[in-house]
Amino acid sequence: MNISTRWIREWANPDVSDSELSEKLTMAGLEVDRIAPVAPPFEGLVVGHVVSCDKHPNADKLSLCEIDIGDGSNLQIICGAPNVRKDLKVVVATVGSVLPSQLKIKRAKLRGVESNGMLCSESEIGLSESHEGIIELDMAATLGENIRSVLDLDDQIIELDITPNRGDCFSVLGVAREVCVNYNLSMPSTNYKAEQKGSRSFTSKVANPSECAKYLTRVIEGVDNSAETPKWMAQKLLRASQQLHSPIVDITNYVLLELGQPMHAFDLKTINGDIEVRSAHKNEKLELLNGQTVSLTEKTLVIADEKSAIAIAGVMGGMKTATLENSSEILFESAFFDPISIAGIARSYGLHTEASLRFERGVDFNITRQAIERATELVLEICGGTASQINECVDSKSLPVLEPIEISNDKISRVLGFDLEPSWIESKFKFLEFEFTTNSDNSWTIKPPSFRFDIRIPADIIEELARLYGYDKIPVQRLSINANISASSQATISSNDFSSSLVNRGYKEVITYSFISNEMHELVDPNSTKILLKNPISDDMAVMRSSLWSGLIQSAKSNIRRGHHNARFFELGQCFTGTLVEDQVQKIAGIICGNRHESQWAGSEREVDFFDAKADVQALLFHSKNVYTFEAAEHPALQMGQTAKIIKDNKIIGWLGALSPKIQKSLSMPNSFLFEVNQKDIEQGEISCYEPFSSFQASQRDIAIVVSKEITADQLINSIRSLKQDDLVDVNLFDVYEGEHIDEGSKSVALNLTYQSIEVTLTDEQLAEKVSKIVAHLESKFSAKLR
Amino acid sequence: MIKKIITDAKKAIADAMDLKALDDSRVLYLGKKGALTDLLKGLGKLSKEERPVMGEAINEAKVQIQKLLESRKSELEEIALTKRLLDEKIDVTLPARNFEKGSLHPITQTLNHIQDIFTKAGFEIEIGPEIEDDFHNFSALNIPEHHPARAMHDTFYFDSNTVLRTHTSPVQIRTLERQQPPVRVIVPGKVYRNDSDVTHTPMFHQVEGLIVDKEASFSQLKGLLIDFLRAYFEKDDLKVRFRPSYFPFTEPSAEADIECVICGGEGCRVCKKSGWLEVLGCGVVHPNVLTAVNIDPNEFSGLAFGMGVERLAMLRYSVNDLRLFFENDVRFLNQF
Repeated sequence: MNISTRWIREWANPDVSDSELSEKLTMAGLEVDRIAPVAPPFEGLVVGHVVSCDKHPNADKLSLCEIDIGDGSNLQIICGAPNVRKDLKVVVATVGSVLPSQLKIKRAKLRGVESNGMLCSESEIGLSESHEGIIELDMAATLGENIRSVLDLDDQIIELDITPNRGDCFSVLGVAREVCVNYNLSMPSTNYKAEQKGSRSFTSKVANPSECAKYLTRVIEGVDNSAETPKWMAQKLLRASQQLHSPIVDITNYVLLELGQPMHAFDLKTINGDIEVRSAHKNEKLELLNGQTVSLTEKTLVIADEKSAIAIAGVMGGMKTATLENSSEILFESAFFDPISIAGIARSYGLHTEASLRFERGVDFNITRQAIERATELVLEICGGTASQINECVDSKSLPVLEPIEISNDKISRVLGFDLEPSWIESKFKFLEFEFTTNSDNSWTIKPPSFRFDIRIPADIIEELARLYGYDKIPVQRLSINANISASSQATISSNDFSSSLVNRGYKEVITYSFISNEMHELVDPNSTKILLKNPISDDMAVMRSSLWSGLIQSAKSNIRRGHHNARFFELGQCFTGTLVEDQVQKIAGIICGNRHESQWAGSEREVDFFDAKADVQALLFHSKNVYTFEAAEHPALQMGQTAKIIKDNKIIGWLGALSPKIQKSLSMPNSFLFEVNQKDIEQGEISCYEPFSSFQASQRDIAIVVSKEITADQLINSIRSLKQDDLVDVNLFDVYEGEHIDEGSKSVALNLTYQSIEVTLTDEQLAEKVSKIVAHLESKFSAKLR
Repeated sequence: MIKKIITDAKKAIADAMDLKALDDSRVLYLGKKGALTDLLKGLGKLSKEERPVMGEAINEAKVQIQKLLESRKSELEEIALTKRLLDEKIDVTLPARNFEKGSLHPITQTLNHIQDIFTKAGFEIEIGPEIEDDFHNFSALNIPEHHPARAMHDTFYFDSNTVLRTHTSPVQIRTLERQQPPVRVIVPGKVYRNDSDVTHTPMFHQVEGLIVDKEASFSQLKGLLIDFLRAYFEKDDLKVRFRPSYFPFTEPSAEADIECVICGGEGCRVCKKSGWLEVLGCGVVHPNVLTAVNIDPNEFSGLAFGMGVERLAMLRYSVNDLRLFFENDVRFLNQF
């Protein structure tokens, strides 16, 4: 909310500068986002009277003016503004004055005629962007008076960021109350009473009193809505960022800003019969003041005449019953609408109004009548007319109940961590307009004022005291040492351990959005459940990712486009196959493409391949020392024949493979290799347990066999291990060869066997026997041939 | 005679330019058929008196030549080594082999830094789901339907009851559903708001903190957060101020500002000329929140705080555009 400090000071005027005042408000919880003067600095501008205005002898568009600034001798000033004319009161920049643009006014000759100053437009003195002619001052302005005081320019506008709990501060009255509480000042009265000469009553009834506990109306006849809104009011409204309309509308806006009570003025002649406050009929149509026609829902409270809805209660009036320049009979409305029933209504129609903003947060239900009196006062003053009595529909049972709140001094001390003086507490209660009684047990019973919707429980009172005491003055204490020692197991591998192992292998971590495009979902993981956002930012961010690959592929792709071809990226993040907690799993994934290493003076370049990625994923798996196996498999994102599923305990816990040529083509990606594992399945290892190792010499034996190409390395190794041969401690496959000297469809495989006994050094004969058993086994099982 | 042999040997040894030539000299003078050996062989022909004199002279010559040989040998070895070293000289400034520049994302580094500070103060780390139900994200946190605070959250929805969490606060609820006080946890994680412009990304990170204990006061919260901010920015005298604010799930609520780390509090573009930067929100847990998880607010009090990780990272690393964090440009990532 924007408000001028002058306006606040009319209500509460502490003896401090505007910047001190704004600092105080911020520290009291009414955050001042910005404080800005209404006009930039300038000096030497005064009120002048255009005594004569003739055409410049040498220029069509210029005027030659005689200006009286009240010092006895007239100034000759040339002016180019189209609106300059005899008998205007104008803003005169005299010779020697400096405009906000730093332009210094000098005596000058324009087309051969002397000019001793300048008549100013709003833009020239920094009031607006408007270049449309010079400022026309009120004819009552005193000649020679400083423009800053004439236009009240030594004022500042503060922009308040009001939190949702402080609906009471959306008005000058509310802000002034805060100022008074903070500076121990007393508030001026809000007891308005307009002259009542008419006797025209108006009937209204409320169908849903729980939603509208008070509905007040008043008829004012014989008003002149074509009158001009007075400058003092216009200025305050403009400085509060309110646009000007007709005086009647300006007055309702003024009262809204001044007292915080949203009001509405209907043109009485357009209302058919009585008014009823009721729920809207389903699909009832209403054309609103902003020109929008809405189809109402039954949840919506409306103001209706005997024919139709004429306004959405607490949100916006209707077009048909709006006051116009020629309206002469008006019906004022001032009501209390229940915050809960108003909440969300405006938003459901895409509206956000000054009225709904206040009603949703709570409007003082004791200001309803004063507001209508205040508005009437202003109408009679500005537009004339005759006011009749106020018609009231009040259901006091439906008004908010201000339950007493009990709070003890001890509770205050415990929550804040220090003691406040009871006398200080009570003095603040008074300034806060709390009704309270002091109880014998060092506690108080408090009834909050009707404008404070945020004071309902003891904690609310403690906050009031804390903020008035000053958060900055609250002493600082340390936490007591009452912390649990973390119970996480040493065998649990942290995210950081996983990240570090990839970082040490040259990977850069990326963080990508958890929502991806439908296209990426269909390409990367089409078989998983598609989790769609109802209200995505864009189609590109509409599906929750089930795999980290789409983000990684896009990161690689955008970096390649920028000329970084060797990608090694990884990401850790949640992936989604449903909206339940158990459907959200943390994964770790990586992508590599381009060359294995940056080009290097001593090495030859080569592209990354499957086994580079496999080494990286094994670095992750190795942390837990569990047994993981890689099995050939198929995955929609991966290339057939270069895809492995990663298995632990017969369960797929991850994938590894080459990006499928189809996706490469559709995304213009180079050969890339991807891996992804579920963190939960690899983060739990076991605490290591030492096993003694043999002190006898180990012996190595190599065998080379020829087998069918279809036999996998794991098949051979697992088969050898399945023999459970004594003293065989390791089997390592160290060479694979296909080609010359090997039959088509076969391959040569070289295996290294390590034997070591815990008891003796094995003899050559013993070793030869063991090896030959293995060879025999491979021959029978895989039709292997020894080379 | 001996003198000449020594003179000749000296010259030959000095002239030997490699080990082979030196060995030839040795053979020539000390070898089986060498000059001194010849003389020794001739001793027998000498008289009894001459023999010991001559023998001694020959031995001395032998020792002398041997010394010369050895000394020349080490000289030659030295020369050979020097030559080898010269041959093997490398340019030590050449790039290393297969050095890989891996890196952690700056947000992860910031999260780690924050977590390190709090774990030292006895906090445990909790995480929670990013797709949340209405209860955990809103109602249990004292944000009922149509509460104005909901409108401020720009929530992403899946259905009327399921949302992308708008803050890490639901993990407060999940923690208290699972664990009895005393509780001291921090919750790092991703959060989502339907907002995207220069200063907002639809996904960002928060760290939430929660303490629930029999004695937990606003003064302690203030002490903890001042200590944290000073540790985070590594500045012992960093100015921190607390302002009243509003969060539905805390009462009293506060926002903490630090003196602008860019201009030192003088006022600049980053702090909008105020000299202060808002860095976190905090407060005493609202009794309704404790009640929602069946903790008696008369027996226990809670302290909670939350901070935006991107904001802290931007201030710490002088990053001036939030969106850089999610563009994953290697020119950006390489700097961390």
